[in-house]
Amino acid sequence: MNVQPDLEFIRELKTAGGDTLKKCFQCATCSVACPLSTESKPFPRKEMIWASWGLKDQLVTDPDVFLCHQCGDCTEKCPRGAKPGETLGAIRAYAYQQFAWPKGLAKLTTSQKNLPILIGLPAVVILVMWILSALVPGTSGLHIPSVEAFAEHGYQQFFGDWSVMFKWYGKNIFFIALIMGVSALIAIISCWMGVTRMWKAMIANAEIVANYRPSLCQFVGRFLWPSLLETLQHKRFKECKTNSDRVSGHLPLVLAFIGLFLATCWSLIKNDILGLIWPSLHGPLAFFDPIKLIANVSAIAMLYGVWILWKNRRKMEAEGRASNTFYDWFLIWEIAAVGVTGLLAELLRWGGQPLLGYFVYYLHLVTVMMLFLYMPYTKFAHIVYRTVAMCFEKYRTSSFVR
Amino acid sequence: MADEHGATGAVLVVGGGISGLTAALEAAEVGNDVFLVEKSPSLGGRVAQLNKYFPKLCPPSCGLEINFRRIRDNRRIRTYTMTTVQSVTGGPGNYEVKLNVAPRYVNSNCTACGDCAAACPDSMDNEFNFGLDASKAIYLPHPMAFPRRYVVNKEKLSADGAKAITAACKYAAIDLEMKAETLTINVASIVWATGWTPYDAHKMDNLKFGQSPAIITNMMMERLASPSGPTDGKILRPGDNKAISSIGFVQCAGSRDENHLEFCSHICCMATFKQMSYVREQYPDAEIYVFYIDLRTPGKYEKFRASRMADSKAKFIKGKVADVTLEDDGGVTLIAENAVTMEKISQKVDLAVLATGMQPNAALEPMPVALKQDANGFLLSEADKGYYAAGCAKKAADVVTCAQSSTAAALKALQVSRR
Repeated sequence: MNVQPDLEFIRELKTAGGDTLKKCFQCATCSVACPLSTESKPFPRKEMIWASWGLKDQLVTDPDVFLCHQCGDCTEKCPRGAKPGETLGAIRAYAYQQFAWPKGLAKLTTSQKNLPILIGLPAVVILVMWILSALVPGTSGLHIPSVEAFAEHGYQQFFGDWSVMFKWYGKNIFFIALIMGVSALIAIISCWMGVTRMWKAMIANAEIVANYRPSLCQFVGRFLWPSLLETLQHKRFKECKTNSDRVSGHLPLVLAFIGLFLATCWSLIKNDILGLIWPSLHGPLAFFDPIKLIANVSAIAMLYGVWILWKNRRKMEAEGRASNTFYDWFLIWEIAAVGVTGLLAELLRWGGQPLLGYFVYYLHLVTVMMLFLYMPYTKFAHIVYRTVAMCFEKYRTSSFVR
Repeated sequence: MADEHGATGAVLVVGGGISGLTAALEAAEVGNDVFLVEKSPSLGGRVAQLNKYFPKLCPPSCGLEINFRRIRDNRRIRTYTMTTVQSVTGGPGNYEVKLNVAPRYVNSNCTACGDCAAACPDSMDNEFNFGLDASKAIYLPHPMAFPRRYVVNKEKLSADGAKAITAACKYAAIDLEMKAETLTINVASIVWATGWTPYDAHKMDNLKFGQSPAIITNMMMERLASPSGPTDGKILRPGDNKAISSIGFVQCAGSRDENHLEFCSHICCMATFKQMSYVREQYPDAEIYVFYIDLRTPGKYEKFRASRMADSKAKFIKGKVADVTLEDDGGVTLIAENAVTMEKISQKVDLAVLATGMQPNAALEPMPVALKQDANGFLLSEADKGYYAAGCAKKAADVVTCAQSSTAAALKALQVSRR
């Protein structure tokens, strides 16, 4: 018999933290230690042997892989140091790559060696846009404002201003929307393609024959909304025993992202829609504006959350309970960078430092773009893939499925 | 015992369990002088605690009795119980060893009539039965104890107790003023047969040992099933003495586990198969559940495994018990994943037996001299020093393998003695 082991699969698992996988001797302690493991379909023991056997198609279509919150209870009790929690994380990293589109961009995000390109790409795009802003009619963005102009407009004229010509749409907003909108659009398309691929593969793998297709309303109402509520309350995360303090880092982070999302939405509505009617609405928000308060509290929650997760990861690695991988650290670095540059830019605005402020703001734009652009391929992708897997878990046991 | 050069050919055997006894007898029966030193008050070690040996299922009294008889008849062996090695100086062929003999408080007048224990008002946990019952503060270690002499635990003896037992003894055998003694002996080589201790089951917090009397260890099961045990050989649930209708064996309890003993103790699967037959003998209808990672019954033991697995009321579940919950009726529920059916199993049983492994004593207590050990505390033989490890001090093993390794150690020790 000619057996061709899939070396690529094993290599990828190893780089993403599954280097201990082969130590597993299938005692099944992990399946009992896991607080999320169910009676009828316990995990992660079966995933460990599938991974050992290289059954990658089985793995990437297994919802349990995505339901794991990597709390580390299994790794703690593992008698062999096989770190099932870390291995499942590595399998997820592999799965994101399998479902990813475009593949080239996804591949780029898997290695620390590509970090210069990963940072360089958005850095160059934003720099080019900044230079291009000089070619577009109106005030050029290609300058450092005076202290007075900086105090009045903040970063709202980073890419210049054409309010003399087009009152109804800010030049700065045009550029920001161009950069971030396109990045976000790519991410949204990529996520959509990824999760539909995953959903179809899971349906096929579970051999589900559906009587009816749920309508969009039914899907949202019965599967998506309950899943989101569960996530918001961190119900499953709180089951973890060993690393219970991860919740105290992850929850602030989630709430911070929601807060910042709302603040950004408001800013968009205020400047782009309401600003058309009342041009006086342009300009930075006052410190005591409720939305600004939400944004600032969120920023601090973000930094606090990522600090806790950073510390935890460090500690787990020092104790040999987790592997040091680019996959895990890249997201922590990214979020920390977004938080630090964002807050620093605001502080520099208050401090009236246009030169330094603009530079930090530029870095902030770069980090935010990175967060958007690489979201579907890095650890950040769990927010969509896990949510969809939770939906699938509910769907599988619903009356839609025969 | 010294020759004209002042050298001695004697062998010191440290440890009086089945391995130490074997090594001492093998060396003595080819004409060598042997000192046999045992820390506890009687010889026989862990084997004396067993109900039956596997695979023949004969009682250990059989093998021990023969060995004790051989020792009694052999003038070349000097045995020292309650004795520990204090220091070792010199070199191979010419070691000077200081022994510390702890006071027994009972002299050789003792006939083991038992009047003292009957009169003694003070009792304590019976260590020989793993605390499953109590013994008096003056006690015979076990019915087969050799030397057959009582011993006093002075810490547990009250002033009234001291008066009572002294008065009860017709032979003036009790001497509560006895002091520890130091002896110096000269030997050529040393056999270390320091044995093992069952791994402390309290350390596996998920298995809840100590939180319910329905959770016992495999060595406790030996005592429960033994005619000389706390229940006269009836397997009853400790605590409420309930006859059992179901029993769960938890294999690899703390074994093959980096967080506990990382090695396989080699005997626990066989011990469980053996204990299945104790249960079946007394309870023909009892349900038996065995939770395992792998069933390891090497070589000729395979047949023993096959016969136990043919039991139609015994279920074998491939999956390690990783959690235990205590039930209101005194039973316990064992939780594992069955790796074959991919289902999580919660099995309620009346009694749970943790198959704990063997931890070498050298890992638990300081040795009198620096001895080479592996990562788990098992001793390595050092031929250049004339030190030879034997039995379970060397590796986790069954009785047969211990006897073999002890004979081997004796042979090597003799070669130093006769150099």
